Amino acid sequence: MVKDPICGMEINPEEAFASREHMGQTFYFCSENCVTTFDNNPHQFAHQQEKTVGSASTGYNPNSQLLQIELPVLNLSKEGQSGRTIIQSALKKAAGIEKVIANPVEGMVVIDYDPKIIQVLDIVHLIKNTGYQVGGAQKRIGIENIRCSSCVGFIENELMSTPGVLHASVNLATQEATIDYLPEQTNQAQINKAIENWGYKTHAATTEEPVDKQQLAHEKEYKRLMRRFWFAAFISIPVLITAYPKFLPIIRDWSAETLRLAWLGTAVLTLPVLIWSGSDFFTGAWSAIKHRAANMNTLITLGTGAAWLYSTFAILFPQVFPEGTSEPFFDVVAVVIALVVLGQALELRAKGRTSEAIKKLMGLQAKTARVIRNDVEIDIPVEEVLVGDIVQVRPGEKVPVDGVILEGSSAVDESMLTGESLPVSKKVGDDVIGATLNKTGAFKFRTTKVGKDTALAQIVKMVQDAQNSKAPIARLADTISGFFVPVVMILAILTFVIWFDFGPQPQLVYALVTAVSVLIIACPCALGLATPMSLMVGIGKGAENGILIRSGEALQTAQAIKTVVLDKTGTITKGKPELTDIVVAKQQKDMTEDELLKLAASVETISEHPLAEAIVVGAKEKGLTLLKPEAFEAIPGHGVVATIDNRNIALGNLKMMNRQNIALGDLQTQSETLASNGKTPMFIAVDGNAAGIIAVADTVKEDSKEAISALHKMGIEVVMITGDNRRTAEAIARQVGVDRVLAEVLPEDKAHNIHLLQAEGKKVAMVGDGINDAPALAQADVGLAIGTGTDVAIEASDITLIKGSLKGVVTAIEVSRATMRNIRQNLLGAFIYNSLGVPIAMGLLFPFFGLLLSPMLAGAAMAFSSVTVVTNANRLRGFRPKLSAK
Amino acid sequence: MNTIQIAVTIGGLVLSLFIVWFFWLAPKGQTRASTDHGGIQEVAITVKGGYTPDIIVVKAGYPLRMRFTRQESSTCSEMVLFPELNQSAKLPEGQEVSIEFTPEKPGEYGFQCQMGMLRGKLIVE
Repeated sequence: MVKDPICGMEINPEEAFASREHMGQTFYFCSENCVTTFDNNPHQFAHQQEKTVGSASTGYNPNSQLLQIELPVLNLSKEGQSGRTIIQSALKKAAGIEKVIANPVEGMVVIDYDPKIIQVLDIVHLIKNTGYQVGGAQKRIGIENIRCSSCVGFIENELMSTPGVLHASVNLATQEATIDYLPEQTNQAQINKAIENWGYKTHAATTEEPVDKQQLAHEKEYKRLMRRFWFAAFISIPVLITAYPKFLPIIRDWSAETLRLAWLGTAVLTLPVLIWSGSDFFTGAWSAIKHRAANMNTLITLGTGAAWLYSTFAILFPQVFPEGTSEPFFDVVAVVIALVVLGQALELRAKGRTSEAIKKLMGLQAKTARVIRNDVEIDIPVEEVLVGDIVQVRPGEKVPVDGVILEGSSAVDESMLTGESLPVSKKVGDDVIGATLNKTGAFKFRTTKVGKDTALAQIVKMVQDAQNSKAPIARLADTISGFFVPVVMILAILTFVIWFDFGPQPQLVYALVTAVSVLIIACPCALGLATPMSLMVGIGKGAENGILIRSGEALQTAQAIKTVVLDKTGTITKGKPELTDIVVAKQQKDMTEDELLKLAASVETISEHPLAEAIVVGAKEKGLTLLKPEAFEAIPGHGVVATIDNRNIALGNLKMMNRQNIALGDLQTQSETLASNGKTPMFIAVDGNAAGIIAVADTVKEDSKEAISALHKMGIEVVMITGDNRRTAEAIARQVGVDRVLAEVLPEDKAHNIHLLQAEGKKVAMVGDGINDAPALAQADVGLAIGTGTDVAIEASDITLIKGSLKGVVTAIEVSRATMRNIRQNLLGAFIYNSLGVPIAMGLLFPFFGLLLSPMLAGAAMAFSSVTVVTNANRLRGFRPKLSAK
Repeated sequence: MNTIQIAVTIGGLVLSLFIVWFFWLAPKGQTRASTDHGGIQEVAITVKGGYTPDIIVVKAGYPLRMRFTRQESSTCSEMVLFPELNQSAKLPEGQEVSIEFTPEKPGEYGFQCQMGMLRGKLIVE
């Protein structure tokens, strides 16, 4: 076998497409393509071939063929880390590695290695040892009927020895293999084959998507719990019948002996309920005890265990107990376990719905991508797309990952990520975002971000992280639940002792029943669930409305906001000037507005001033054809002059008009009116006569006013902060109705101004664009960054509004208030439940009303208290923002 | 009060004191994360009714890799959270999941399941 020097393919010299002699060497080629490439510059490849021949002094086998591999390394480009040198020096030390080039920009390490001495896996291992992770694709593959754990090892080894596989692990519980591999080295078909070699059938993993996976696991767990519930419920029937012989016709007539035998029967019947239906409690309690910890499982175990042991003992040795106390409580055992297991199952059902928002987000992701590799279009799973791939997107298809357009143009609907309702036109060089929808044209793009780095993946990750963060309000509940279970255990002992010492006859029975009730009614879960469940739904709800809340803390602070500071440019306004007014001078009888604009815009086509651009864009929007200016001259600080159609045009400010000695007449007062409205007027003179005014201004976003008045209705003071002059600032302020204007604030003083507002004792939120306003965003109690879909990772902000509208601020505060209200309800409910339930179970009402809680009722209460918490959290799913941001 | 009652009372008191000692006062075993030659601290944690080991001592300033394997289907433990460190991970049953970060500040950081039923502690020295 010989190696094609171009593509590296191993070929049989006799079957080679062509061969060439060069510098005394013979080269063989697999295809016409390769041979043409070689012919273009044979020396280059011949030289490469030479290099592979190692020198005798280094001990390499002169016949060894070096292979080259490109490994994507994650976070290689992270600032302040010398990953490049670390990896290079670590790899160069290893035997068999000839050359290492680390490219932090592309996040790639190119390695020439000798496959006889070192394997890819070893190289990957070496890189991992430096603390870096080798990127690649990950795939889950379902394996049918894998039962033996020894086969797991075989399959794992087989997979690991497949070239290109970095890591493989087989999960017996889910019947799946998870494989990390380099898509340029192997593909799914080869991996499947490796598994099938061992006689197993493979299928697409049922659990490809993380959320679906969780849902599936939940479904499985639900069924498992329900089976346990039905068993316990079924056993409960005979147990209940025999537990209350006095109330049932036939059983009433049984003799004491028959009854005792029947009770023995129920003792045996309830044993599998304990051991099977309630096994989770027992194993959970045991693991907890081993860690010197106690939780709900401990309480249920103690309660039901004590009831069963006492009951069995009482019927086996009735003589030990005083008269009337030898009655069993097997009913407590069976019914409590049935109820608590049912409660867990229902809770699981309700929990599943709390992550709906994330599921919706992840559903946006395209499943496949049409990638062009070696001039061939192939459809591959989106996970296998690499950075630098060329991807073809046709009309109506989703853009699979993030990238830059190389060829073609189109309109892309980005509404799912940016909230921009109109499709955005895209041409060569523009960025495209994964998960957006291509509308009209076809284009090819080069991928820049794949997998975990895409904008969508980042949004999902951010939301998930936030959902799992803690709100400060949960800290109290957390502290309490740390002490809760041991305290309840002590209370149960106390209850037993008090009833045993001072209770009515039969004291032992009362003492036991009340102690068991205390153990069973206490519900640490309700406390523990109160905050996370609501946060999950609330933050998810925010994400659905284009509001990315970074943490539970941000969410909690946002509800208390009393002052909202809005940056003017880019937040209240669109952030770039637009043409607003055209005034034609009275003396210009036959000049129309369009003509005036046409002249002005034609002059400005050459100018590079941002105001000029606004005029040109304004003219183009009106469909005017612009002319080519001649003798163009810019006079700094004044304006521009040029000749168009042999007419001398002067365009500029008042100084410009004075310089040219042009009488302005009433145009001057008109320009002052425009200026006081925050606009920038520019005079135009044609052939020495004043012709009119064209005004441009940074215009207010359509929905800013509505959003600000909604904030007012919520009792929030709205402050505008800007570096602009007071007159312009106040003009905008009047338009949108803000309460206070902080004008002429230097960018570096913005944070200080926020601090001054905070000194007034108010919680202050700052809304800005996240880049220029970073210090102010960080200074504010809550920083809200107005971003677009791609820059979700705005570091300084607590909340990112991916839809550019100010309505997002309103919705963010609404979501925060609704979620916090829900959390408070949950916490209050859980506190009240426990602080009422436990004393009642202790028998506090007994001396006054003769009321005593049955342990079974306690079990029901306990089971449904946590279901109630989750259900209440689910109510938040009905949250609708009052103002819907477009 | 008869003798049995006195015995029960004393027994109850002793048991209560034992509970206080057992859960709060008794020193707990600590596990130190192993360090490989690359300087990465690593610790494998089994999740089953609790975290084993549950008290983990690591050095500040070195990268830490915590490999969690959940060996139960109870949904309580399906996530592990480090609230103060802003780290969290889903733990699919039976699958090893690594959480990697570099603990910078010495101190004690709790980790727990979503509703705080299972708890562990990371001690950064």
